[in-house]
Amino acid sequence: MEQRLRNEAKALLEQGKVDWIIGFESGSLKFATTPLITKDKNDADRLVINPFMVNNLANFLTEVKGRVGIVAKGCDSRSIVSLMQDNKVAREDVVILGVPCRGIIDLSKVERLVGKERDELDDITREGDKVAIKVDGEKKEFLATEALFDNCLACEFPTPQEYDILLGEPSTSVVNKPAAQEKIEKLKEMTPEQRWEFWKNEFSRCIRCYACRNVCPACFCQRCFVEETEPQWVLPVPRWQDNLIFQIVRNIHVAGRCTDCGECERVCPVNIPLRSLTKEMYDLVDELFHYKAGMDKEAAPLLIAYEYAEAEDLFR
Amino acid sequence: MSSKKKINKKDIGKLLSRWSQQFTVLAPSMESGVATMAEWDGKDTSFLDWYRNTVIPPKANFFPPMEEMFSFQKDREGYHIELPLVNEHKQLIFGIRPCDAKALAILDMTFEEAYEDPYYLAKRNSAVLVGLGCTNPYDSCFCTSLGISPAESTDVDLMLTDIGDQFLIEEVTDKGKELIAKTSGLKEATETDEARAKEAKETSHNKVTRKINTEGIEDKLLACFDDEDYWEKIAAKCISCGICTFLCPTCYCFDINDELVKQQGARFRSWDSCAFPLYTKMPMENPRLEKWRRVRQRVCHKFEFYPMTFNVIACTGCGRCIRLCPVNWDITRVLESLPVKV
Ligand code: SF4
Ligand code: SF4
Ligand code: SF4
Ligand code: SF4
Repeated sequence: MEQRLRNEAKALLEQGKVDWIIGFESGSLKFATTPLITKDKNDADRLVINPFMVNNLANFLTEVKGRVGIVAKGCDSRSIVSLMQDNKVAREDVVILGVPCRGIIDLSKVERLVGKERDELDDITREGDKVAIKVDGEKKEFLATEALFDNCLACEFPTPQEYDILLGEPSTSVVNKPAAQEKIEKLKEMTPEQRWEFWKNEFSRCIRCYACRNVCPACFCQRCFVEETEPQWVLPVPRWQDNLIFQIVRNIHVAGRCTDCGECERVCPVNIPLRSLTKEMYDLVDELFHYKAGMDKEAAPLLIAYEYAEAEDLFR
Repeated sequence: MSSKKKINKKDIGKLLSRWSQQFTVLAPSMESGVATMAEWDGKDTSFLDWYRNTVIPPKANFFPPMEEMFSFQKDREGYHIELPLVNEHKQLIFGIRPCDAKALAILDMTFEEAYEDPYYLAKRNSAVLVGLGCTNPYDSCFCTSLGISPAESTDVDLMLTDIGDQFLIEEVTDKGKELIAKTSGLKEATETDEARAKEAKETSHNKVTRKINTEGIEDKLLACFDDEDYWEKIAAKCISCGICTFLCPTCYCFDINDELVKQQGARFRSWDSCAFPLYTKMPMENPRLEKWRRVRQRVCHKFEFYPMTFNVIACTGCGRCIRLCPVNWDITRVLESLPVKV
């Protein structure tokens, strides 16, 4: 798959079919990948495909000018389509190099499984429905469902839905819906007061670095409402109340665009379980509007479409 | 010869309890959900098992993510300003790493030498720093390239070194010496203890494998300052978040905001970042609208401008910006790939 990707990417650049390639290359830390954004065909040999491709590269589509060949997992491909629905990118300017995804390894889960941090591990490999972790020369096996990101365990479409080149056979994901929903279910069992306390506590440590927003392909406002000064909706000061409002409004703004790629939660440096908000919204959107983000490039975006029948459901 | 002390690891709880009578003791904690220096709960010393370094740097204990500068009330006569109460309790930070202690010394140059920042200095001048040498540096650490050794420090008041079941305690400043004189229950260190500590320090030093070459770095950066293609290329994947600056122990930019509700309000200062497109938008415009200019600013501020002004590189190699970056943007890779030969 990896060699094929490199050949395809090189050919696309050589034949002038794209100006840019956006993919992944090996990172500078163990088990890390890093986005590769290049115009140079010689860089194509650095492209990788592995279970550590965390970033949702759709985020970079609007950053470069010209035609782009982009590597996309299932969720990323939906984010790309969602951007097309919002007229942020044109279909003909994008060549989607689809990667049938088998789930991405959550290094924080791996760390908890073996009680060591990522840089202390010798190796992590995906073998069928298992993940093998080599630590201190000893190999330990775990079910893949214990080591993949929550959002991967809930993934409905691991194979890209929209692509130009599919770099392998369609994949089926190792779904474990209860595991993926665990944190959210716990929240639902709480009383509203308990839930309020929970989120107050979580958002007390938000530092307003905006990594959650900036890493998100669905957050593409030129000027985010938090940065408006007239009127000033929230202060750019990291008080828990302002932090919470920032996140709630962000969640509403990505409703119908969020593809549950999980990036916001992954990048939060202070471990706020943001997916518990975004996934709940994702499910609500599905339940109320029978809508899934980024499935149909011709469909009107959820938040700008309106059907009379909806009123019946919503305003009772 | 200054005599060195030692303490059994299992007695650290007792030591911290003793110090708690005099200070607000802060120690590594996961209580809030992220590793930070937080008020010690009076019993838990399990951080000795998991602590490598905190995610939130100890600069936050002196220059917090947000703080109220003053509050005010408005009436017909105008504004009445009230200054915040100064916390009388002095902080004792237990377990600060050499890189982060050095970072405070670097911050002093801005907050004390360049101008006197009363908020920072009130906390800083009364604080006691008890350093704890690293035994297990991260693969992202590169302190040894910046003249820092992971288990040695002159920027703390006391320095502890892991020598097996015990810590060797060295008095680094007069403040540290005074504290030790008032602390009962410490044993005298033997020559064997000292030899062990020396060995432990060397071992830690050698565990830091990530390196940068700082020789001529200012000139190199100056030479490629205008190489737009280069900066554009390396900036491409950066998402302009605040992680690498907010969580850098030497970054000190802040924003100021007023809040006025009805007739009452307060002025806050909070961390700001040169990575943000709206940085410095309040007083003027941001001269660095393109992302590559902002990325260049972060690198050059640390490795070119700060050395020009204060004769020290404003990076201690703590590695946080590498470990925590959402896209694995790595400053060591960038510094090693500068398109110049000097
Ligand atoms: S990534 Fe986390 S800390 Fe940063 S703004 Fe978002 S919620 Fe807050
Ligand atoms: S809100 Fe979070 S999960 Fe949803 S698309 Fe954005 S980054 Fe991905
Ligand atoms: S943490 Fe990484 S992505 Fe965020 S501003 Fe710094 S270099 Fe850019
Ligand atoms: S620039 Fe990076 S490595 Fe250097 S002190 Fe700041 S966070 Fe640490």
